[in-house]
Amino acid sequence: MYVYLGIDVGSVSTNLVATGEDGTIKHSIYMRTSGKPIEVVQKGLKLMQKSLPIGTKVAGVGTTGSGRHLAGVMTGADVIKNEITTHAIAASNVVPGVQTILEIGGQDSKIIILRNGVVSDFAMNTVCAAGTGSFLDQQASRLNLSIEEFGPLALQSNVPVQIAGRCAVFAESDMIHKQQMGYNIPDILAGLCAALVRNYMNNVGKSKEILPPVVFQGGVAANAGMKWAFEKALEVEVIVPPYFNVMGALGAAMLARESTNRRKTGFRGFQVADSDFCSGGFACDGCPNICEVVEIQEGGRVIARWGDRCGRWSNALAKEEKIS
Amino acid sequence: MSIKVGIPRALLYYYYHPQWVTFFRRLGVETLISQKTTRGLLDKGLKSTVDEACLPVKLAVGHVLDLRDRVDYLFLPRIVSTARKEYICPKFLGFPDMVRHTINNLPPIIDCNFNLYHKGSSSADFYFQVGKFFTRNPAKIIMAYNASKAALDKHNLDMQSDCLPQEHAAEGSADSNGINIAVIGHPYVIYDNYISMNMIKRLRDSGARVLTADHLPESVVREEAYRLPKKLFWTINQRMVGAAYHYFSREDVHGIIHVASFGCGPDSFTGELTERCARNGSNKPMLSLTVDEHTGEAGMVTRLEAFLDMVRWRRNMADAAATL
Ligand code: SF4
Ligand code: SF4
Repeated sequence: MYVYLGIDVGSVSTNLVATGEDGTIKHSIYMRTSGKPIEVVQKGLKLMQKSLPIGTKVAGVGTTGSGRHLAGVMTGADVIKNEITTHAIAASNVVPGVQTILEIGGQDSKIIILRNGVVSDFAMNTVCAAGTGSFLDQQASRLNLSIEEFGPLALQSNVPVQIAGRCAVFAESDMIHKQQMGYNIPDILAGLCAALVRNYMNNVGKSKEILPPVVFQGGVAANAGMKWAFEKALEVEVIVPPYFNVMGALGAAMLARESTNRRKTGFRGFQVADSDFCSGGFACDGCPNICEVVEIQEGGRVIARWGDRCGRWSNALAKEEKIS
Repeated sequence: MSIKVGIPRALLYYYYHPQWVTFFRRLGVETLISQKTTRGLLDKGLKSTVDEACLPVKLAVGHVLDLRDRVDYLFLPRIVSTARKEYICPKFLGFPDMVRHTINNLPPIIDCNFNLYHKGSSSADFYFQVGKFFTRNPAKIIMAYNASKAALDKHNLDMQSDCLPQEHAAEGSADSNGINIAVIGHPYVIYDNYISMNMIKRLRDSGARVLTADHLPESVVREEAYRLPKKLFWTINQRMVGAAYHYFSREDVHGIIHVASFGCGPDSFTGELTERCARNGSNKPMLSLTVDEHTGEAGMVTRLEAFLDMVRWRRNMADAAATL
């Protein structure tokens, strides 16, 4: 069997997907990055190898997410792509004709607008916590609820509470206030979901034309309360695809299939999971830019560098990073 | 030894440098331009300015510090207005005084007023005042002024025929595989390699041809800006919006990037105006970026990449549709 691997290394989660030649998912893995991208990618590769039938061959690898370059050099990826493009590709394969993608992850959120099968607009939020999953995580833990219990409970709500959701800090104090006033938990949870949706719409969703079909993906899509809140706010059906939390990796795998089309993959084999990678950095003193250069070593040998503005260090390895 | 005048490579230097340099040379005065922006230079500027200042002004202070101990005079014209019945951002007006009050041990400052607001005012008045620092011979000043004007005119024509200023011309590949991207932003942001994070070079390296407001004759930009519901009397922002109108309506331009600088008042509304008015129903992709002193390069690269993917994708679709 041949598979294509997609690896999405984000700041919160790292996901791996293996697809068959027909694009169907053979296995998917979702892990916390916990600030250790190298270890997580290696662990993911090991898990993946174990769960695939013996004799499976990798025909192509694609990486995405903020750690895409790191994962790319580690595995010898055939394609390294930004997360907007990979999410869009995955969603439009899973839901043909999709026109709007809502994506909320742990630390960031984005909206992607497609028209005629092509990305026509997008926006990302990486700064404001009130528009991301961490907002719900925090509030859930304040109420001693696991995030898994959150969704079903929110759906029991009859009259969602109005919660000021402009800013995570205000939302929290407002929520405490509502709790003390005696509102029940499901109504408060539903209110929180609605607040997060309002926030999202005012932030990344600002002045975007939202047309169906609408796909909702990213880790937060697991929360049924959020799907409900989006449907209520947008007044359209919101589709949560089956592999909603690994869509970036899925898109990367699809791109890998396309880019290796009858060519040999650059994949270095699952054994890289046992290689001794380490990442380091140093401040270059070559000029007053004082660039923070990141260096990836494998078994003591430098295999990649980036972060230098003039190319002094990355060019030395002849691995210039280009936008593609 | 001849007298040396220092010119910061910042703010309106990017518009007027050919004129300024020629003028001084004709008077027999040597000019020294501050070095290109580096991390160190920006840090110095940040340390010496108040928080309220916008990024370009902070950066300009860094450039002043770079020159301070190396020149006999500092050339910091007090630019009030560059066109009749229009002003430019008040920060230009206050710049010489701000420098004087925040930096010690400065050489003498040439801060004559440049003000074309009123009827009958001419830039010759300004150059006359400046000239008087160095010569008492009015004929000499007139000759220098005429030469300087010719230099600026030539420079502007060169720009219109696609020679981006200075180093940008030589950078990147000329092969554009037909993609044209308009970059709308303050010249002192988009042409500064450091704070724009090499945006122009990145775009060119990835095969796009870059167009800016400076590719358009002044008359075109003004005419386009008249389409605004109300006249903007900030010259630079009017230029930006005018150029945006023009490029939005041009078929051979495939995408528009609006670059705002952090802390800039005028930018916050040109961004909106561009999105709302200049777009004018067009569905051309537009990317809005804000540069600030600690933007990570990674975030910008992701956005640029995704943007270019989207532009290419759409173009391929359009090509496919055309051949059907
Ligand atoms: S890497 Fe290049 S640009 Fe960066 S500090 Fe060193 S010499 Fe300067
Ligand atoms: S226009 Fe904006 S960026 Fe330029 S000087 Fe004024 S505030 Fe600063």
